[in-house]
Amino acid sequence: MKKHVLLAAFAAFCLAGCQSSEKGGAQKLVIGATMLSMQNEFIVNVNDAMAKKAEAEGVELITVDAERSALKQVEQVESFIAQHVDAILLNPCEVEASSPAVAKALAAHIPIINVNSETSTQPTAFVGSDDAESARIAMKFIADKLGGKGNILMMQGYMGQAAQLKREQGAKEILKQYPGLTLLASQTGEWDRAKALSLMENWIQSYGSKIQAVFCQNDEMGMGAVKALTDAGLKNKVIVVSIDAIPDAIQAVKNGTLDATVFQNASEQGAKAVETAIKAIKKQAFDKQTLIPFQLVTKQNADKLPQ
Amino acid sequence: MENNVLTYRAAGPLLSLRRYGLLLAFLAVCIGLSLTTPRFLTWQNATIILTQVSINALLAFGVTFVIITGGIDLSVGSVVAVSGVVAASFAHPDTYPVIVPVVVGLLTGLAFGAFNGFVVTSSKVPPFIVTLGTMTIGRGLALILSKGRPVSNLSDAFNFLGGGKVLGVPMLIWILIAVFALCAVILRKTVLGRYMYAVGGNEQASRASGVPLRTVKMAVYTLCGGLAALSGILLTSRITTGQPNAGLSFELDAITAAIIGGTSTSGGTGTMTGTLLGALLIGVISNGLDLLNVSSYYQQVVMGVIIIGAVVLDSLNQTKKA
Amino acid sequence: MEASQEVVLRVRELSKSFAGIRALDDVQLDVRRGEVHALMGENGAGKSTLMKILVGLVTPDTGEVWLENQSLAGLSLREIRDRGLSMIHQEMLLVPELTVAQNLFLGRESRLLGWLDNRKLNARAAEVLSRMGLNLDPARKARDLSIAEMQLVEIARAISTDARVIIMDEPTSALSDREVAVLFGLIKGLKARGVAVIYISHKMEEISAIADTVTVLRDGRYIATHPAAELSESKLIALMVGRELGTLFPETVSAAGAEVLSVSGLTRAGAFSDISFAIHAGEVLGMGGLMGAGRTEIARVLYGLDQPDSGGIRFDGQAVRIRTPREAIRLGIGYVGEDRKASGFIPKMSVRENLTLGSLTTHVRKGLVSASSEGEAVTRMIESLKIKASGPEQEVVQLSGGNQQKVVIGKVLLALPRLIILDEPTRGIDIGAKAEIYRLIARLKAEGCAILLISSELPELIGLSDRILILAQGKQKALLPASEASQERLLHYAMPA
Repeated sequence: MKKHVLLAAFAAFCLAGCQSSEKGGAQKLVIGATMLSMQNEFIVNVNDAMAKKAEAEGVELITVDAERSALKQVEQVESFIAQHVDAILLNPCEVEASSPAVAKALAAHIPIINVNSETSTQPTAFVGSDDAESARIAMKFIADKLGGKGNILMMQGYMGQAAQLKREQGAKEILKQYPGLTLLASQTGEWDRAKALSLMENWIQSYGSKIQAVFCQNDEMGMGAVKALTDAGLKNKVIVVSIDAIPDAIQAVKNGTLDATVFQNASEQGAKAVETAIKAIKKQAFDKQTLIPFQLVTKQNADKLPQ
Repeated sequence: MENNVLTYRAAGPLLSLRRYGLLLAFLAVCIGLSLTTPRFLTWQNATIILTQVSINALLAFGVTFVIITGGIDLSVGSVVAVSGVVAASFAHPDTYPVIVPVVVGLLTGLAFGAFNGFVVTSSKVPPFIVTLGTMTIGRGLALILSKGRPVSNLSDAFNFLGGGKVLGVPMLIWILIAVFALCAVILRKTVLGRYMYAVGGNEQASRASGVPLRTVKMAVYTLCGGLAALSGILLTSRITTGQPNAGLSFELDAITAAIIGGTSTSGGTGTMTGTLLGALLIGVISNGLDLLNVSSYYQQVVMGVIIIGAVVLDSLNQTKKA
Repeated sequence: MEASQEVVLRVRELSKSFAGIRALDDVQLDVRRGEVHALMGENGAGKSTLMKILVGLVTPDTGEVWLENQSLAGLSLREIRDRGLSMIHQEMLLVPELTVAQNLFLGRESRLLGWLDNRKLNARAAEVLSRMGLNLDPARKARDLSIAEMQLVEIARAISTDARVIIMDEPTSALSDREVAVLFGLIKGLKARGVAVIYISHKMEEISAIADTVTVLRDGRYIATHPAAELSESKLIALMVGRELGTLFPETVSAAGAEVLSVSGLTRAGAFSDISFAIHAGEVLGMGGLMGAGRTEIARVLYGLDQPDSGGIRFDGQAVRIRTPREAIRLGIGYVGEDRKASGFIPKMSVRENLTLGSLTTHVRKGLVSASSEGEAVTRMIESLKIKASGPEQEVVQLSGGNQQKVVIGKVLLALPRLIILDEPTRGIDIGAKAEIYRLIARLKAEGCAILLISSELPELIGLSDRILILAQGKQKALLPASEASQERLLHYAMPA
């Protein structure tokens, strides 16, 4: 009798063990994510959203930081492939140099989804926003404010980076639509607030009261430009618009010192990326390209942004 | 003897041409810019240039001390970030009086400098490696302390340090003048300054002459850390926010200013006036290129050419002397 | 020994100034085929400048050099070498990783591109070496050679370029007696083949052994040329110094006062053991011994540069521990080290800055260095030691060896020491400056300073010291009054057992 009980217990234990191992091995999906830089506030927000979505879907998410090195990123993808992850989320460091990562994943028949920015090799799917679109929105705002006529300065990001190139391209498209707008100068502020402050001071010295609007390719530089214009007593005569909607910039929009910023929806991007990856793994239908729309932030709607 | 004095004097103009080469280069650039753009030579632009130069110049003064002793400090850019973030954390409105963020920020930089000095003097690890390490530590600490986000909302009193004006002249310029004078006096008029040249010129002979090597090295690295902190506090005040990413690659600009100013990387030579001129030359060129709306790409090329030119000039002087 | 009358190298009206200092002033020189022509002069007389002009390193301000009646003006180093004028350098210029043969033909390989035929190269090298009577394997790497062998390769290189004139600058400074003999044999062979040798040396016995003709320079000027056989040593010295030296060692009276420093049982493992002696005010204690006997090591311990393993040091009767040079200076100990360049002075600093480096704190007024106080001390010391410089602001590196040494001594004196350790104070300086340093030692002694004099020159030890301590292999062998010392006796003690 005693023997039977033991046997039954053993069988039950064994069964339970087999079941659980079956569940873990075949059903819990693993997604690897390699991020451009976890020192960047926006990227951290995207990753937070990925993690949240993954947990809700019961998927395991492994996040690694490429620290802005495309080489490192390619190696990270190689190790994901070696670990047999089910899908890879790639937040590319560079357009060209990160491309081998995409090619390798595809060759290993692992779905790879680009998040936030592009590579020259086509991935399984793309989730993000069109950087050029953000610049178009910002520039359009300036054009409307100036009535299609006026002098503009453009502060560029770090020269040669994808975001800088895209945002420049978007801005130039709008400039072409409004022949009344003149681009006085465009220089780099290297995404940096202090550098932007110095550059704006030099521009004020150079163009003085001719300046009617400044488009900065990110908010850090926008804040620097606002500081220089305020110090020179010119802020109320010059429109400043930038991109990213970081907390400082939203606060400045509320205070009326920054005229507008453009909100890029990090949580949407993160969530949609994980969602697309799961669909791709399960061979369900998915969109090859998901573009999360940007949102213009002005004094009117600055309070109502999703956090 | 009489003969010697005469020939020495006859060689005077040649010697001074070499000594004042940098000053001449600086004046030539200024004259060239004045001729090409009417906006350059104005009182307002002069204050703009001096304001922009001040942050780099303060760093370069500190680095000059270190390089004169034959060392190097790569951590100053990171110290700018840490001390800026620390100062900003204590500078929110209605919390502490403005002296608190300043002192706490300075102490942060002094501590970093003292740490550099301590490791350099108590190990055989070259300063290049030691300060490369603290450079990374500093950047990491700045990110940890700020949680990777800018520290904003600073008091008006704090923002006055880097943004205010006294008697119509920006505070940064007053501070630049005061710190320059102080550093020049330390280097030229104090025992410590003389010892710095001695240590950089010949460490072994300095020790045999009773120069306290450890103390001198501790002093220069601590001084350099303190000046980097001052620089960081003023930068934070100027852009009204403590940025963990501030001061990225500032160490290179500072070292460049010192070397253009005639500080030899092999140690034993250098002056504060030279370093100030070096920083001004960089500032004037960068300002002028912006005024002339020269493309960002070309600006980098021009800067590179100037750096190489200055160092080549320096090495020519060295071989002539040898 | 017969030299021909034909002049191969002619120098006329050569002048050169550096930084306002006249290094050469209207110098002439005639070197004949197949002669050994010694070039003599104190340090700073202009010998090295002349040599640098001859080989094309330095361009003269005025004047000209002819080699076999062709002017060398405007030719490069390499062109001059190809015309037949070579120099054997004091600093070895062989490439350590290359073989003897490769070094011999360096820069003259027959083909620039393609394979270098090492076997052919070695064969040619062996031929050159055997012609010189040298027994050297051409395939050995230069780094495995002794200094003497390297020098011989240098000479072989000069000969194989078909040199007409070879300059040798202090060629025996690193050679043993046997190697010197080989070198001299080689020089005789060169003479026989009609090659002229310009020979620079401070050693009188070498000049009398090998030179045919002697030219003397002084203060950058040409003084005289004489056949070597007609010059006595004293006459030569008089020509070099420009005056009769009289007795080199000044007469002093021994008037030793109170004990200043004493050591007992002083030991530093691997350097010296169980050393005991005392030095009194107004006394010169000489310390002799061969290289590596432990003399400098003892000095370093007394000055706080190294720490003893056991034994005691007393200063003014008080037991002391001297941990750093700074503490030594504070006690009143001064040290003039044997290696002037490495640890004596700061080359980039001026005479003024070097002189006051050890006593700078005494010139501080209100936290700053007082220029007037410092300047006054500097002027005083420059006058007192007769330091020859264009002014207190001249860089020390531009001074002659003797004047550099005076600056180092001046620095030590300005710290007002009561005990001065002089470690080989006259090494590498010329005879005039030597005499001045001897007089200075006598003066310091008369002023009541205690002096520890370390020297390898026995006449110097005997002539200047009151008592002499001899070391051998780190052990104290003898401590005797100078009156009882002879060179033979001292050498006997200094020889390892």
